[in-house]
Amino acid sequence: MTHKIHILLVDDEASLREPLAEYLIKQGYKVQQASDASIARSLLNAYDFDITLLDIMMPGEDGLSLCRFVTDKTDIPVIFISAKTEETERIIGLELGADDYITKPFSPRELVARIKVILRRAERGGTKPLGTSGGGYQFSGWTLKSDKRSLIDADGVNVSLSTGEYQMLLALVSRAGKVLNRDQLLDITQGREAHAFDRAVDNQISRLRRKIESDPKNPEIIKTVWGGGYMLAGEVKSL
Amino acid sequence: MGRWLYARRGSQIAVIRLWPRSLVGQLLLIVAMMLLLAQGVNSFLLYRGAQSQNLIESSTAAVSRIAFGLDRQANDRPGRRGGAMRARRWGQLKYGSESAVTDGMNRLPELEARAGQAFANMGIGFSDIRATFTRNLTADMSGHLIGANRGEWRNNPINRSMGDKRMPPETRGYVIISAQQADGQWVSIASVVRERTPLMIRTLLFQTITIYLLMLIPLILLGRYISRPLKSLTARAHNFQPGDSEDLAEQGPPDTRELIRAFNAMSGRVSSMINEKDVMLGAIGHDLRTPLAALRVRVENVEDDIERERMIAGIEDIDHTLDDILSLARLGRSAEQADPVDIRSLIETIVDEFTDLGHEVHYQRGDKQSALIRETLVRRALRNLIGNAILYGKAADISVEKSGNKLMIHVDDDGPGIADDKIDAMFEPFLRGDASRNRATGGSGLGLTLARAIARDHGGDIILQNREKGGLRATLELPIK
Repeated sequence: MTHKIHILLVDDEASLREPLAEYLIKQGYKVQQASDASIARSLLNAYDFDITLLDIMMPGEDGLSLCRFVTDKTDIPVIFISAKTEETERIIGLELGADDYITKPFSPRELVARIKVILRRAERGGTKPLGTSGGGYQFSGWTLKSDKRSLIDADGVNVSLSTGEYQMLLALVSRAGKVLNRDQLLDITQGREAHAFDRAVDNQISRLRRKIESDPKNPEIIKTVWGGGYMLAGEVKSL
Repeated sequence: MGRWLYARRGSQIAVIRLWPRSLVGQLLLIVAMMLLLAQGVNSFLLYRGAQSQNLIESSTAAVSRIAFGLDRQANDRPGRRGGAMRARRWGQLKYGSESAVTDGMNRLPELEARAGQAFANMGIGFSDIRATFTRNLTADMSGHLIGANRGEWRNNPINRSMGDKRMPPETRGYVIISAQQADGQWVSIASVVRERTPLMIRTLLFQTITIYLLMLIPLILLGRYISRPLKSLTARAHNFQPGDSEDLAEQGPPDTRELIRAFNAMSGRVSSMINEKDVMLGAIGHDLRTPLAALRVRVENVEDDIERERMIAGIEDIDHTLDDILSLARLGRSAEQADPVDIRSLIETIVDEFTDLGHEVHYQRGDKQSALIRETLVRRALRNLIGNAILYGKAADISVEKSGNKLMIHVDDDGPGIADDKIDAMFEPFLRGDASRNRATGGSGLGLTLARAIARDHGGDIILQNREKGGLRATLELPIK
């Protein structure tokens, strides 16, 4: 592989930034570090980055403002790294066009997985399902809202989903009518390949069916395609 | 004794019920009662005045009758025929060596002085004068009575002048005046004392009503003026939300305005303190989580898998404790809005988390049931309850029950339960069932405190009770429409 993925890591805390950069380099990435927004801007001018990791709380210009700059001027995807877990901030971050959001302390493996998911999506030229692509999707009486990552039924009642379930459903809904096999689904949702006898996808699917199908044993929405994988049936409207 | 006490308590309750609860009501009642008391004292004094006026009138009549009788007697030539008879007709005076006012009677010095003065003015001298008031006339005096004739009462110029054409009022008693002449002989006469109060009561009643109208109507208005701003202040204090930027309008009398001003200043201070706290908590969260995140990244360099997993678990434990502390401190100020959430899916999501970690948690999906909740918070509360169940028992069993307008989510475990007298203490922060502070048992010690705070924030509660078959049942109660 000749091209190394190039990451811009912006965080004012050297104690986190440096070990994280080391870890990412060990994982085979090329990493540039910036301790504040102005350094980040000059680096953005000097290099071509594949992805930006941004801390929200920084002295001076904060991560949100820098994110707006990055998403307005470039196509570089952004992952927020923040110590805050308040719901509103996640929404603000996603509305500003960030592709994902991870809270401190996070598992570096999880971060790498998310980086992969986003890069895979960018490679395919897909839309940003978490970000600016709008409100979400409507299918079979359900509404999947991307701003709050919520699933709402025909009566307007929220149905609780785990992060994994949400991502799985989003992958299926945004590719409605297409058959996705387990590898593809894992790749899209977790950025990893399936192990042998990997039941993770089937597990998520059966949990999703329990929540959205009127009869989970005879699914009408998430169909199993024999020998292939899964497919979302029915019409999907983009919001 | 007991019954008497009970009766007393009963009457006390009755008094409490009559006692108005509002400021204006109490003010009105007190003023009305005081006015009534003042009127009572007033009328008592007036009554007393009228009584003594009646006495004076009667004694004046008696004095003049004595003077007149003695005058006639002096002018009659001794031995003249019919002299004794005339004297009787004119005066009905009683002559005797003994005074009609005996020593045992209650003498009235004031009347005696008045009579003495009157006799002196008429040029009659007596060596002693006695006066008394009695309710019952003795038999020997009943023949020497004046004023008993109703016609006489009516023709009395005093009564005429008062325009009173009615029947004379009741006889209240008698004044007896007795005077000793120079020869030691006593002259005595009794005079009727009339009751003259009905007119007075009418006047008093009219006065009282007039005063009530004049006083109470402005008082009611004044009371309203005072109590309305107090009411709005009370409502504001009840519904106080830190960050209410709008001050309560200063209205009412100066004292109340001062109070409202002080309240506004205080709520401003409280709000800014809470804002400070939020900023501080945010800073703590940030400042602790960043080094924690750095540690978490460095842990990946640890070669030993078991050691690494233990370190990761330790970091996650600290993170969860931090989460609990920050959520507890921020509760009620959450930016998250309440949405209707399908409780089944909420429980399933949490149950799946535990199942994925290898814990035994059972839940059988039932009918759809939604509740208006802040999902992340309730999720946290439920997670804490299930976490406790797994910590102290081996497995957790979750069931949902609907009762009236309450939704109850039961989390049952098969652990040892909690001694009944310790149940309340379980909600104390940082207290664990095993009383150990050993971190190896996991949990922050804030779990139940936070779960209850979250439940109460939603208008519900957490109830702990020992199950009959052993183990503990923790119930999360949530209100539903």
